[in-house]
Amino acid sequence: MTNYKLSISKINELFKNKDLKPSELYDEVFERAASTESIIHGHLTLFQDENIKKAIDSDKRYADGEELGVLDGIPIAIKDNINISGHATTCSSKMLSNYISPYDATVISRLKKQGTLFTGKTNLDEFAMGSSTENSAYGPTKNPWDPSRVPGGSSGGSAAVVSAGSAIASLGSDTGGSIRQPASFCGVVGFKPTYGTVSRYGLVAFASSLDQIGPITNNVEDAKLIFNSMKGQDPLDATSIKETNVPQPKTENAKIGIIKELMEDGISEDAKLEVHKVAKLLESQGHEIVEVSLPITKMSISIYYLIAPAECSANLSRFDGVRYGNRISGSTSYEMMEATRAAGFGSEVKKRILLGTYALSAGYYDAYYGQALKARAMMKKEFTSVYKDVDYLISPTTPSDPFKFGEKSDNQLEMYMSDLCTIPANLVGMPAISIPTGLSSNGLPLSVQIMSPANTDNTLLDFSQSLEEIVSFSEVPSMIGDKK
Amino acid sequence: MTDKINIQNVAKLAAIKLTNEEEQKLEKDLSMIIDHFAALSDMELPDGNISIHPLGLPLNLAEDTAFKFLSHEEALSNAPESKDGQFVVPPSLD
Repeated sequence: MTNYKLSISKINELFKNKDLKPSELYDEVFERAASTESIIHGHLTLFQDENIKKAIDSDKRYADGEELGVLDGIPIAIKDNINISGHATTCSSKMLSNYISPYDATVISRLKKQGTLFTGKTNLDEFAMGSSTENSAYGPTKNPWDPSRVPGGSSGGSAAVVSAGSAIASLGSDTGGSIRQPASFCGVVGFKPTYGTVSRYGLVAFASSLDQIGPITNNVEDAKLIFNSMKGQDPLDATSIKETNVPQPKTENAKIGIIKELMEDGISEDAKLEVHKVAKLLESQGHEIVEVSLPITKMSISIYYLIAPAECSANLSRFDGVRYGNRISGSTSYEMMEATRAAGFGSEVKKRILLGTYALSAGYYDAYYGQALKARAMMKKEFTSVYKDVDYLISPTTPSDPFKFGEKSDNQLEMYMSDLCTIPANLVGMPAISIPTGLSSNGLPLSVQIMSPANTDNTLLDFSQSLEEIVSFSEVPSMIGDKK
Repeated sequence: MTDKINIQNVAKLAAIKLTNEEEQKLEKDLSMIIDHFAALSDMELPDGNISIHPLGLPLNLAEDTAFKFLSHEEALSNAPESKDGQFVVPPSLD
């Protein structure tokens, strides 16, 4: 009997009814890891031996009727840019190959309080910079649906392990689509919450005005459970926000806008057809579908690839061989830093640091970074205006189904275009979810993305859950066997 | 904006020592990306409400009070080199 594809609420019911113990599920998940990791390489480290005692503690709590909540005993994988005290946080970089975190990220301490178990740390593009996990210093993760294809990125490991069943759910981070794009490529659900609803404290920063932690799960209900267990203002993150009462979008007879600019050039026919298929299903449920235009979204890639590298060049200046990470010796501090950063960073990270440094340098700041900030403000204005007329926005999550290894690595702009549909949610700060809805002509997963105004996360999740029910996508990778 | 990128100067500002091969490749790659930005750079855009917080909210600053955080030993635990409770670095000047 397999339990690793059940919903968290169903597993919790089995735990409570004494039909399954957390330690039994824990063993089952690690058996999955033993049979799938050699193929997909989703986890960088596995915590099996360290955490089995915690699983047995969870057994006892359920036996005594003293469980800590619905996540008690649920094995979750953590992207390796989120700190867990006493464990390595490598960010898939040589720079941090020897770093052991002395503290927990806020999301980790909140999950620990609820008895959540951790399977291990998952692979990512180095410092979360990439869309394929090909940029990991520890080798790429493979897509469980077809190991000759990428799992997406940067949270490719987190998406692949949920898809393969070696974790019940996982945490990723999303700066320009790094939760939603790999979730789409691996046929699972990926949710990027409203900026600031989940604390970033303990997440190794890439681009601070865009980064957000969120769940990758087998279904929308699990995403909602994990999001609500992690959210809430945190004094350790000055950008975290209090829950705010704002007008909520409708969940019955809602008006949904298809974004015209995300259904044009660069989007595959399969991806467009998937959006139209889902739109028809929504119409059949009494929702109204309209086309909306957000012209500035055509500039998303340029805006993002100015703001994100600018912020990354500042954030990654901390890796200087002084306080943590590796060091290459030099006769002066500057020589030591130059050599350390040359040896520690991979080529994509170097490229983005240099791009950001250039965009912020004297003489270019106004033309590039300053202009990108103005365009971001205009994008926010356009989305605010559109949300006066519609409840939700819909688009493909990705321009295509998963691509093959090496297919885009020689064409950086084409690789950057992978995030075309997901970047606007990060620039505007709104919540967005990717829901698997069908298979492409290659038999690979396709998803749609639903977005809603800031601070309407739970309504978006409720609406997405009802969409998930009518779509009833039940396909799983062949390595899983039966359908869900 | 079609200025040629001075890769050596940018690498110096970023404190990353590049090999000759890296310089050539990065100069080519970055020039291609920067060319792609031309359409954005040329746009007429209003000043707008520019904000670092994507929701335009003020930063939520913590109370100015001491709280327990990392111990001295924990803060130094990942340092490549430390001595007498301090980080050790090479001299700033030759």
